[in-house]
Amino acid sequence: MAMQNMKHSATDEEHPVLDVVGLTKSFRIYDRPVDRLKALLTGRCYHREYRALDDVSFTLQPGETLGVLGRNGAGKSTLLKMLNRVTLPDQGRIHCDGRITALLELGTGFDPALSGRQNIVNNGLMIGMSKMEIVAVQAQIIEFCELGEHLDQPLRGYSSGMVVRLAFAIAIHSGAHCFLIDEALSVGDGHFQQKCIAKIREFQAAGGAIVFVSHDLNAVKMICDRVLVLHDGRVIHNGAPDDGVNLYNQLMAAQACELPASSHNQKGFGSGEARILSAQVTDTHQPRQQFSAGEVACFRFQLQAEQVLEDLTLGIMIRDRFGQDIFGTNSCLLGYPLALRAVQPLQVEMTLPLELAPGKYTLTAALHAGDNHADQCYHWCDNLLQFEVAGIHGPVFAGVCRLPVELSVHNTEPLHNARLPEG
Amino acid sequence: MSLPASRRRGIHLSLLLHFTRQSLVDRYAGSVLGALWAFIMPLVMILIFVFVFSKIMGGRLGEVSPALGEYGYSIYLVSGILGWNAFSNTVTRMSSVYLERAAVIARVDLPLVQLPLFIPLTEVLIFAVSFSFFIGFLLLLGHGPGPEYIWLPLILAVQMLLAWSLGFICAVLSVLLRDVRELVAVAMQLWFWLTPLVYVMGILPQWLQSLMLLNPMVPIVNSWRDVVLYQQAPSLVGLGAVALLAMLLLGLGLLLFRRVEAELRDLL
Repeated sequence: MAMQNMKHSATDEEHPVLDVVGLTKSFRIYDRPVDRLKALLTGRCYHREYRALDDVSFTLQPGETLGVLGRNGAGKSTLLKMLNRVTLPDQGRIHCDGRITALLELGTGFDPALSGRQNIVNNGLMIGMSKMEIVAVQAQIIEFCELGEHLDQPLRGYSSGMVVRLAFAIAIHSGAHCFLIDEALSVGDGHFQQKCIAKIREFQAAGGAIVFVSHDLNAVKMICDRVLVLHDGRVIHNGAPDDGVNLYNQLMAAQACELPASSHNQKGFGSGEARILSAQVTDTHQPRQQFSAGEVACFRFQLQAEQVLEDLTLGIMIRDRFGQDIFGTNSCLLGYPLALRAVQPLQVEMTLPLELAPGKYTLTAALHAGDNHADQCYHWCDNLLQFEVAGIHGPVFAGVCRLPVELSVHNTEPLHNARLPEG
Repeated sequence: MSLPASRRRGIHLSLLLHFTRQSLVDRYAGSVLGALWAFIMPLVMILIFVFVFSKIMGGRLGEVSPALGEYGYSIYLVSGILGWNAFSNTVTRMSSVYLERAAVIARVDLPLVQLPLFIPLTEVLIFAVSFSFFIGFLLLLGHGPGPEYIWLPLILAVQMLLAWSLGFICAVLSVLLRDVRELVAVAMQLWFWLTPLVYVMGILPQWLQSLMLLNPMVPIVNSWRDVVLYQQAPSLVGLGAVALLAMLLLGLGLLLFRRVEAELRDLL
């Protein structure tokens, strides 16, 4: 397969699978629906323009995977829609040798009243396959989606995971030359995800190109050969994935700074003698929201009291996206009793290595007396901060956290007496 | 002016048939009678018109065709209304076709011009079945088909072309302005009563009769009756004029579509 692939790329070097030149798109925003009709009839201008994409160009060679990163509203969806030809550009062109199939929203055109088997035909026709093509790959689709006896049941009885399996199976067998994937891989169970990844690798090896849009930086680093970073509709990076991910992290951090810290002040509850004025998550230098597992994060809090408080404790709790407590501690347990003078703010920093599994986390913080908040709680802020762990620094691990492990190996005498029972 | 993003592929015939099947068969998936439901409605309508109206009104409107006696009015009614239903359903359903399928259109590259073709196809099928049933009834009366029935496909074609052109324009406009969909429903109601379907043209005052010449459905309905009721060839002048008008509207629709396609797709 590898040899075949190299040969393939060598001959097609001059012929990209996907060639995108100068895509520009503005959306017209009308204040009232009737303005649209007036504009149409009179030819006069009644709208404001919103530029979603500005002169976006890139090419994709056979077998190449391009990751697209950008903040919300940076133009990622517009770009995907345009590649999928459901939105037309104002300027620029898209050239693709062969079919582009999108895994944008899986199961488009599925009819819940029909069986899985009938929906294979429906969905296949919808994404541009002919009846012949569908018949040719039907057996492969059925085998891949592992639906078993459910295949002849109406779709409405399927779990969402089953629908995704069916949709992915159809899309990957559709004979596309270029594949658009938008967060679609984050669904389904682990076994099927692995199967999908393996199938995608196979598709890449056979010379298929992929455009991959995701917020899962780990997956982007793992799958993509190149990363495109969009910012306000413009390409600000088109190159190595690591650089692209770093740039994206900076953009996200900048966004985090834009959010006024004071907005957090309204949140929370408590008796109010002391308050958390603001909070920030940073690395060793600057504000950041994305970390790799093992990187050091610093949680910085501004505290203020209405009156003199001699016995004050600041506690934190890191929760995962399911709201499970992952780790919590407080200043009292750490042996740093805090005290606040009236009105004089105090800055407290907690620095810790984020030895956490990739995923999204929130930080809850509280000010209270004593070593727990049960007796006297001054201020409690749920989900005060958010951060994400994407990618792993150092050895890969399984589970929710990385405990420090020391591995030692010793030569020992063979154990003659302690023989294992046979059989 | 926008440049085309790609060569838009033509619609697969199988996709068109799939949509037709969907609106005829799949819609009734899980029901015992299935696709029969699509035909039950027009059949019930024929039965009501034939057996109820012939008894109630047949005597008074006997002059429609003395040879047919009390059934004259029923035949007058059904021969016009079967065609009208195919026409009106096509226009009404087409006017909301993009909005109804917005979810699919926003995600899959479908050729928007050809996509709604499944609607006239479906309506023609329903019409064909209903009309066969009607012919059965005519045979019972001894008023069965003659050589003039050769004109029927032409009348149907002109009528559906007109329906298609109008429906297409409404479909495009209704995306830009949602009110169009409701407006079409109201307009079709009015149009029904402005066409001599349940009444005879002769009962109208002279000025209204000449105004009726502007209604393109009048030559069509008259043609159906020429063939079915009076067993004669239809007036080709009227049909030709309607066909010309339909082509004009179609051209207009396509022009409109090309001008607003990009915006239309953004709105879905």
